[in-house]
Amino acid sequence: MSEKELIKGNYAVVEAAIDAGCRFYAGYPITPQNEIPEYMSHMMPEAGGTFIQAESELISINLVFGAAAAGARAMTTSSSPGISLMQEGLSYMAGCELPAVIVNVMRGGPGLGNIQPSQADYFQAVKPGHGDYHMITLAPHNLNEMYDYTFGAFDLADRYRNPVIILADGLLGQLMENIELDRTKKPELLNAPKPWALTGARGRHGQRILSLLMQPGVLEKHNFKLKEKWDLITKNEQKFELTNMDSNPDYLIVAFGTVARVAKGTIQKASADGIKVGLFRPITLWPYPSEALKEAAKNVKKVFVFEMSLGQMVEDVKLALGDASKIEFYGRPGGGVPAAGELYEFIKKRVK
Amino acid sequence: MVVNATGCMEVTTTIFPFSTWKVPFLHNAFENAAATISGVEGAYQSLKKQGKIAENIKFVAFGGDGGTYDIGLQSLSGAMERGHDMMYVCYNNQAYMNTGVQRSSATPRGAHTTTAPAGKVIAGKQQQAKDLTEIMAAHRIPYVAQTIVGNWPDATKKFEKAFSIPGPKFVNIYTPCIPGWGYDSTSTVKMSKMAAETCMWPCYEVENGKYKITYNPGANKKPVTEFLKTQVRFKHLLKDEAVIAEIQKATDDKWNWLLMMEAATNKA
Repeated sequence: MSEKELIKGNYAVVEAAIDAGCRFYAGYPITPQNEIPEYMSHMMPEAGGTFIQAESELISINLVFGAAAAGARAMTTSSSPGISLMQEGLSYMAGCELPAVIVNVMRGGPGLGNIQPSQADYFQAVKPGHGDYHMITLAPHNLNEMYDYTFGAFDLADRYRNPVIILADGLLGQLMENIELDRTKKPELLNAPKPWALTGARGRHGQRILSLLMQPGVLEKHNFKLKEKWDLITKNEQKFELTNMDSNPDYLIVAFGTVARVAKGTIQKASADGIKVGLFRPITLWPYPSEALKEAAKNVKKVFVFEMSLGQMVEDVKLALGDASKIEFYGRPGGGVPAAGELYEFIKKRVK
Repeated sequence: MVVNATGCMEVTTTIFPFSTWKVPFLHNAFENAAATISGVEGAYQSLKKQGKIAENIKFVAFGGDGGTYDIGLQSLSGAMERGHDMMYVCYNNQAYMNTGVQRSSATPRGAHTTTAPAGKVIAGKQQQAKDLTEIMAAHRIPYVAQTIVGNWPDATKKFEKAFSIPGPKFVNIYTPCIPGWGYDSTSTVKMSKMAAETCMWPCYEVENGKYKITYNPGANKKPVTEFLKTQVRFKHLLKDEAVIAEIQKATDDKWNWLLMMEAATNKA
């Protein structure tokens, strides 16, 4: 049974986590994601779970590290500067193969920046911190997806024993809209056994979880093992959405999250003027749906890449296409959100 | 030279491109004010040794209770232990007010915050506030003090004294927050005075290990309910006699402990 609800994006994240069986949450105040820990502090005690307000984001991610090692479905959330403080923990969790869901409600940077929406943490999510590792990165572009992707992220994390990032932004976090909540959906792996978890040593040797592999060759082997997993994720989990591709468009927009939402308006404006534009929206930013993008861009004259940054995903677009000659980039850094007409003006100047 | 962690003071005094400070101002994230001022002070000491700078410069760092009690405690402790010539001022309104009233480790027992809400299952914050002033005193630095914004002579005296002493200093100043606490906007002075009169926030200092209570209400010491009943954040508590008794006992214990410390450290 599905129900319609007028809800704020940050609240949708909480509803999804609770519905997915997450019963451990740790967080720390930072705008524009404060509604998540606030709502969690209400919801977790009601759901019989644990809510902890940490004393920093470094502590949040390591509380989640501990909870995940104990076998719990665990989550933390933050916004850009706070995610920077979590980089160490994220690398450790990837190295230790621990599942968790991390939501980044991105804001303008660098530094303290501002509290406007941004997509400037793309690199930080898809080309993350120290050591060779990857995190599955999902980019919602409406509030239904804030719910759906957060819900699904817990199964993804458990399936691959890997951190999963929801890369949202201040607009998606603060926006309110009507969404359909499918409360009948059940998480697939909620009760799946976690034989690796630290659940005691009675009748067996004490298990260990660590990422320090000092002997020469051992860490190298571990990295190759991780690579097999990441190759499998790359094969199985690429997701994207195509818009207006049936019209055999002459031009293609590539955008994710909020910008993809704006770009749908741009397509309508262009269409009214007889300019056929399609949209390729990567849903998984890692693994990046490169082959699908190459296919979508095959017959277009130009590929417009729009981001709320100085250009980060555009690098992956270039890698996917193997040829930058068709690519035109337009970005709004530091909290700027482009309007549909603004993107259309950019296109119009380059198509005639 | 001022270094300011993220917070209401930073936001309201340095709206880009302006600054209300008549001295150089440097901002860094929540957890970094004490480390950053240590770096500036270290550079100053180096320049001084090289003969490149002659003036005497005072260094002061400001942080709210979230940035000081919680995320900034490690860098504050490090700066105090290394002994930089600096003053750290915690302006303490007992929660993360700038981000929307989330609990901090300075939030008192029972207070409602947006992440320690007073609901049916849990009635506000379950833990006592951390005693940061005593943690700082345990660093055996030359000067540690607690004061309130509502007692101007007490506050200025302490800041002047702190500035006159070389080495690391720490001042914890109680600064009521109108939206975060929920009281009439004309009562900020009254709120902080009430905290001192109930001994929920004693005004005292620790100078080279010697305790001195700078405001003693004596026989006029008020019950904690006089303070609690004035604010929305404690409204749900007033019928809960057990929690009120617990808060009264914790307040009395700390106050008696301070009286004992004052007597013990000032023996002839």
